[in-house]
Amino acid sequence: MNLSFSQISEKKDFHVNSASLKDIRSFSRDVFDKLQLNQDLKDELVLAIAEAAQNIVKHAYKDIKDTPDKMEIKISLKDSELEIGFFDKGRTVDQNNVRHRKIDDVKPGGLGTFFIQQIMDAVVFKEGEKPWINHLVLTKKL
Amino acid sequence: MTYKVTEEGNISTVHLDGEIDMDVTEKAKEIIMPLIEAKKEVHLNLKEVQYMDSSGISVLIESHQKATELGTKVTLKEISKSVLKVIMMAKLEQILNLD
Repeated sequence: MNLSFSQISEKKDFHVNSASLKDIRSFSRDVFDKLQLNQDLKDELVLAIAEAAQNIVKHAYKDIKDTPDKMEIKISLKDSELEIGFFDKGRTVDQNNVRHRKIDDVKPGGLGTFFIQQIMDAVVFKEGEKPWINHLVLTKKL
Repeated sequence: MTYKVTEEGNISTVHLDGEIDMDVTEKAKEIIMPLIEAKKEVHLNLKEVQYMDSSGISVLIESHQKATELGTKVTLKEISKSVLKVIMMAKLEQILNLD
């Protein structure tokens, strides 16, 4: 893929709530516009980012309303590898508990993680370096 | 997200407009579910929906299942390209009623 930038690194903080999801999509679209990604790929990546951010709101901050905490999202491209980092200060995520529902078991919920895994090449949970608790890394070769 | 509801006989058509994410799913359900509970046949017109995430897909599944349970039907109409792509990614094109 011909990219207009060989390297890019942009990050932004967002409040941890569902109202931030629109701003997160907007930030992501702006970065991917700079990279001149095709529309289909851009839509998929924006969906993966929004689903990961939604998981932070729903799971890392489960039962916590009106938190002053912010999450940070960092989008980087280097050597044609896109890396998207999510940093939050919510409860520790146990990677073993992060799984999507069986896709044939049709019921509401459980699809966000499936979408992320469908779109990205790799999904890795790391322990966050202070002040962060969780650090999720999504990567995809462009 | 904005919406408009039109009625024709026993068919209620909900025209949704905008982006459907976790922030608006409760509102979407508040619009759609009472129509299903009133045993209306519901058409969801998704022509003007530019974005839908897994939360929006959950509303579609929940609506479909509730309608089936109550002996009525939810049909998705004029599905935008971006929404259709997400429905297909979720492998729901054979489950939901697409028109």
